[in-house]
Amino acid sequence: MNPWLHAVLYSLVLVTVLMTCTAYATWLERKVAGRMQSRLGPTRVGFAGLLQPIADALKLLQKEDIVPLAADRALFNLAPPLTVFFALATAAVIPFSPGLLASDLDIGALYVLALSGLMVFPVWIGSWASNNKYALLGGMRAVAQGISYEIPLLLSVTIVILMADTMSLSGIVQVQADEGWFIARPFGLGLATFALFFVAALAEGNRIPFDTPEAESELVAGPTTEYTGMKFGLFYMAEYLHSIIVAGLGAALFLGGWDGPIAPGLHWMVLKTLGLWMVMLWARWTFLRFRTDQMMTLCWRYLVPASLGLLMAAAVWVHAVHGVS
Amino acid sequence: MTLERPDRADPYLDLDEYEPEADLMVLNFGPQHPSTHGVFRVVMYLDGETIVKAVPYAGYLHRGVEKLCEKLTYAQITPIVDKNDYVAPMFNEQAVNMAFEALTGTEVPIRAQYIRTIVGEIQRVASHLLWLGTFAMDLGGAIGGGTSVFMWCFREREMILDLFEHLTGCRFHYNTHTLGGNRHDIPAGWAEKVHATLGHIAQRVDEYEAILDHPIFKARTEGVGVISAQLALDLGLTGPLLRASGVDHDLRRDAPYNIYDQLDVQVMTDTGGDCAARYRVRVREMRESIRIARALVDNVPPGPICGTKPIKLPVQTRVKDGQVYVALETPRGELGTYVIGGGDNRNASPYRLKIRPPSLHALSALPYVLPGHGVSDAVAILGSLDPIMGEADR
Amino acid sequence: MTTAERESAFVELLRARFGLAEDAEPPPEGFLLAAEHHFELARTLKQQHGYVQYVSVVASHWPEVPAKGKVEGDPEHYEVATLLRTVGPGSHVARWRVRIEMDGALDSLVPLFAGADWQEREQFDLVGVRFADHPDLRRLMMPEEWVGHPLRKDYAIETGHLPWR
Repeated sequence: MNPWLHAVLYSLVLVTVLMTCTAYATWLERKVAGRMQSRLGPTRVGFAGLLQPIADALKLLQKEDIVPLAADRALFNLAPPLTVFFALATAAVIPFSPGLLASDLDIGALYVLALSGLMVFPVWIGSWASNNKYALLGGMRAVAQGISYEIPLLLSVTIVILMADTMSLSGIVQVQADEGWFIARPFGLGLATFALFFVAALAEGNRIPFDTPEAESELVAGPTTEYTGMKFGLFYMAEYLHSIIVAGLGAALFLGGWDGPIAPGLHWMVLKTLGLWMVMLWARWTFLRFRTDQMMTLCWRYLVPASLGLLMAAAVWVHAVHGVS
Repeated sequence: MTLERPDRADPYLDLDEYEPEADLMVLNFGPQHPSTHGVFRVVMYLDGETIVKAVPYAGYLHRGVEKLCEKLTYAQITPIVDKNDYVAPMFNEQAVNMAFEALTGTEVPIRAQYIRTIVGEIQRVASHLLWLGTFAMDLGGAIGGGTSVFMWCFREREMILDLFEHLTGCRFHYNTHTLGGNRHDIPAGWAEKVHATLGHIAQRVDEYEAILDHPIFKARTEGVGVISAQLALDLGLTGPLLRASGVDHDLRRDAPYNIYDQLDVQVMTDTGGDCAARYRVRVREMRESIRIARALVDNVPPGPICGTKPIKLPVQTRVKDGQVYVALETPRGELGTYVIGGGDNRNASPYRLKIRPPSLHALSALPYVLPGHGVSDAVAILGSLDPIMGEADR
Repeated sequence: MTTAERESAFVELLRARFGLAEDAEPPPEGFLLAAEHHFELARTLKQQHGYVQYVSVVASHWPEVPAKGKVEGDPEHYEVATLLRTVGPGSHVARWRVRIEMDGALDSLVPLFAGADWQEREQFDLVGVRFADHPDLRRLMMPEEWVGHPLRKDYAIETGHLPWR
């Protein structure tokens, strides 16, 4: 098939599937959180509340679209679609099964990290354009956090790249399918790298315990304070999309992606992504929130040195096993 | 980031004299804000994200209760003051009725004193549960781990409201205390219900401690919002706030009312005076209250529950001229009632009634404590003070 | 010391240094002292007698009582009751009243007790009594542009008031 046609068709399918997944991720999260808090979660709309995401979307669409008088109108309107765009663009290189991905980029891992690094831009644009002090504080925190945690995230992925000797995500998964998953290989080092990646990814995705930019008990709603209706909905969607994609990335980088016995690869990939996402959800509904300065301390004083140390160790391991290439 | 935290900040700081180069941002925190526990406003002057000066504004929930009480008869005041501290209404009505009893010289029967003590201790558990839930929510956010603790605390508090509904027929504003005693006697089977409920809650408290015993909670509370013992005394802070600063003072032991002089109340103190100390004191107090209530509920002596005859008309209650001050220990501290007896309405309503709200004193600590902290800590400190705006503003 | 011992020590102190008549029985309204003793008494109690906790201040407004027959007339005035407390077992509340004329002002206790700040502001706001040397005497409960002091006896509860009629 023509690669362009493939990319366009696949992207259409992927976007549709991901959007639906995001909608139902909110449903799942509300159900699971409800059970954790001895509640029921949504039950009214449809069987077991299954139509709740659709009702939510309809509600958000009906809300009045308020743009503050003092806001920078163009930037204010630009930020929400931009954040969804970056979140969706990341999904293009996530390999769901051999050959099942929008574009098998040679630098897939780098591409994902670059785009998720760009995620702070729409957030900052939105918070600055809102002309609101809470939004400004939230935006400042988001930028500080996004840029800081980019470094341990990047370094932990670098370790995987080093060990797999490729930057292509499907290549990395193939290496794991052939030689063993990176979470267990080499013993200890892989697991530590995975833990590092997971913490950094949580922070990068503004999930509790690292959701200081949003911090609704302090900053009302952080960068999204002034947003109403579907514009807020887009920010919300981007957050969920980002967390799902990060879970997918973690599954591909460390958990062997589509590799697994009996069932087809796609099933394994979805299962692993969902499992990782559920762990994020579990953390979210259990932990309290860090303070901004504590988060920075955690990043610069512990995570960055730890990731540098792990990188050295990985380099030594690669040298010992494969020799100089 | 090192934050410079003075032992006691200057609330009257002239901002013109603060570093002229500093670019201060004025953040209007409240009155409509998720974490102000009602309607409360703090104007924060921020240098970066560090508070330089905090100016609180109370009064958004001022309803003129004291003025209203001057127009109401003594019997009509009880249900009105119920709405002051809406988290622990049992104490409000008890406070005014104890003041009126002191003014009239009415003896309260021993059975009524037992009932007052028991409902007070159970109410204290309910109030601290609500505090724990909202405090966790302040720290953890409405979408996150904080809400889990919040929901659990409310689940248990609901059981206490059921207890009170069984006793008085009301879930929230009970109107059960009256001049000279109580209106509602203990119904059959209530004691067993109290045992079951409190035993259950005692186990749950361990659960809350388990989920809050992690590094993030410690990092967010330890060393945050330190109130020294001297500052606490000067400000008139009472209750858990004072005890968390290391002052061993509890009206239940030190100025006993009801039957507290016959009880051995363990006063829970802690050192540090920070948010973590306030959390520990409240959790221990919850356990102690559960112990007291469970020990008392089986031993309520028989007898009448009210020392006065039921009144047919509200104006039938008359008091002598005089001024009394009566205080009792609520979950938030010393709730005092100062009554000047004998006004218009032929001595059937007070001339002046002043409620000493522990929450207002607690809030007055903010300008001394907040400077040097960030906005995140401001939320934690405000939450740890446990202010109830209905009581602070009256 | 027990509460009762502290009470008698407090009465002794008032008799010895603060102008309470020797034979005066404790009146049901509490001790009425001269305004010039107010600050000094609070300082003595805090620094020498352990009344370290600030409890409250209660101001009340007393309208003019016209002289009629045997009843002696009394001009309009304020009364301010102050309460301080000792901490620990046998806690006692020291309570005294001071009479303030309508144009007078009472010495503020803020230099001694930081907590007096808001309490005195509240009493100024609601009753109208002024406190001398208060660092920040603004309204606390009512809006700043409010006219009148709600807890005065001449402030009718039924009628509307400025700024919202």
